[in-house]
Amino acid sequence: MTFFLFNLLNGLQLSMLIFLMAVGLTVIFGLMDILNLAHGAFYMVGAYFGYVVFQTTESFWISLLIGPLLSLALGFLLQYYVLQPLIDRGRTAHLDMALLTFGLLFFTIGLVDLIFFETLGLTFMSIDKPAGLGSYIDIGIMYPTYRLFVIALGLIVALAVWLLLDRTVIGAVVRAGVDDREMVRAMGVNIYLVFACVFGLGCWLAGLAGVVAGAGLSIDINMGVQILIPTLVVVVLGGLGSVKGCFFGALIVGMTETLSQAYVPALALFATYLLLAAMLIFRPQGFFGRAPKTV
Amino acid sequence: MEQPQSDSYQGQSGGDVSSHDPMEPQAAREHKTFLLTSLAGLLFLIAIPFLVGEYYVSLASEILIFAILTSGVNLLLGYTGLVSLGHAAFMGVGAYATAIGSSLLGYPVWFVMLASITVSLVIAYGIGLLSVRTKGVQFLLITLAFGQMFHAIAEKTRYTGGDDGMTNIPRIDLSLIGLDADHDRVFYFFVLVCFVIALALLRLVVDSPFGRVLVGIRENEKRMLALGYSTFPYKALAFGISGMLAGLAGSLWVQHSFFVNPHIMTWQMSGEALLMVIIGGSKAFFGPLLGAAFYVLAKDFLSDITEAYLMFFGLLFVLVVAFFHGGIAGFIARIFNRTGGPAGKDDQ
Repeated sequence: MTFFLFNLLNGLQLSMLIFLMAVGLTVIFGLMDILNLAHGAFYMVGAYFGYVVFQTTESFWISLLIGPLLSLALGFLLQYYVLQPLIDRGRTAHLDMALLTFGLLFFTIGLVDLIFFETLGLTFMSIDKPAGLGSYIDIGIMYPTYRLFVIALGLIVALAVWLLLDRTVIGAVVRAGVDDREMVRAMGVNIYLVFACVFGLGCWLAGLAGVVAGAGLSIDINMGVQILIPTLVVVVLGGLGSVKGCFFGALIVGMTETLSQAYVPALALFATYLLLAAMLIFRPQGFFGRAPKTV
Repeated sequence: MEQPQSDSYQGQSGGDVSSHDPMEPQAAREHKTFLLTSLAGLLFLIAIPFLVGEYYVSLASEILIFAILTSGVNLLLGYTGLVSLGHAAFMGVGAYATAIGSSLLGYPVWFVMLASITVSLVIAYGIGLLSVRTKGVQFLLITLAFGQMFHAIAEKTRYTGGDDGMTNIPRIDLSLIGLDADHDRVFYFFVLVCFVIALALLRLVVDSPFGRVLVGIRENEKRMLALGYSTFPYKALAFGISGMLAGLAGSLWVQHSFFVNPHIMTWQMSGEALLMVIIGGSKAFFGPLLGAAFYVLAKDFLSDITEAYLMFFGLLFVLVVAFFHGGIAGFIARIFNRTGGPAGKDDQ
């Protein structure tokens, strides 16, 4: 039983980490039709910049605050000054954008590799957990406090995103943009600014996940790619563009990965992919996605 | 440089298929240009081993092997308008089938190669039947998922050495015609023969009515459906053929490098294949070859300077997608066709 509870919490922790990544990705796709394969790069940028901040200030909290800001800024600039102008020039979003951001992911991995590994000689780094979150807590089982913190953070972000999208004017504009962006434009909203802000926020969440993972796991060159795949699976399971689906998708994927690793290790590597393949074959629009437009 | 007629590969541009009737005189002229280009290219490829040192001959083999892979990928990307991020899996299937057959089971390599190609075709066709139900971004994701699944299988299988892979894989036995494929120059010619056969077959496919339907699907799938074509089996078979070429590339690759490990089927590998196709030019028949050549040579050059060569390719990839869809082939075609050839709107 304790073993099960332990794995359940681990699964929840992983789910929340993936959720932080996936929610940005899915909203960006829903709003702008951009499958941002560079999302993993923003996660990396957050983690590496968080590490740099941590090295200077030696404070986890400051690096959690400042680290993701670089992702935010880069995301905003990328959407506003690069992607949007390209879309306006007739680069129809879907595949061009997926390929372009895919190239960007390669570029970022190479750049980070060049700076941190080839120049500074750093390979596996991590951010120290803050005092108070570094040990274990007794909740029936001895469980690492930090992981509980990650779970709490994920739930808070989920709540915040839901409130933002569902209960504020900004959210109303974004939801309207998902439905019909031309109409939103016609009503006098600077939709490009909204796009860039949402893109930036999504990247900020990815950066946040990066710093959080930097303290819980480790920071290395493959982290962006490693997290990207489960993130994509989550987004497909939930339905591209659906925040609610994203939350449940994250729970399903996080639990599947953790529990299969604990109980059926032989299946662990395939479980998520099988899920993804089955979903795409039987319900390509995901649990909460809309039915795709005909052909 | 022959150019398939399109301005974009995502199948949403709504171009008119019927205006590119193969009976047009322009098509005949293009066919002639194609034959002349191929012949000149072939002579150059035959000349390579006599012109450069052993090391570069080995690089040239690498280029041709990648060109087989990327030409296959381009049947989907350039001709059918489907972007697959999982083709490394079929390269891996071909590679592992060859390694298992020749190294573990001890069958002769020529037989194992034929078997590997068949196995890749069958597996790719099966995966194709499932994948082509989706399109666009979903297709990209599902091929990625299947690719990762094959990678996971290769990593987990103890029989084939798991993550370490297998070594000492033999090359094809050419003693019947008095040659030894262990020499890189001899092996290069063997790869060249495979390359020529593969591309000739691909050309037949592309020029056949079947290939025309694929282009039609890329341009406007709805219209093809309205014309009475059931597009599903066409796409699935295109996927199978493209996977078969990837399998052939994999089979040659293990012989070239004498070993195989799961790295050959990572999604980075699939990504690099896409990179080669797009840099080379997805709209030209020989674009993938140019892309492979550029990729292998640039990688060789850059890896002397830095391990972080991905940075340059990533940036180049972004630039080509953003500003120059024609890639290298488009660039060359533009130089030769200044007075308005069949250049698409992307080649402004």
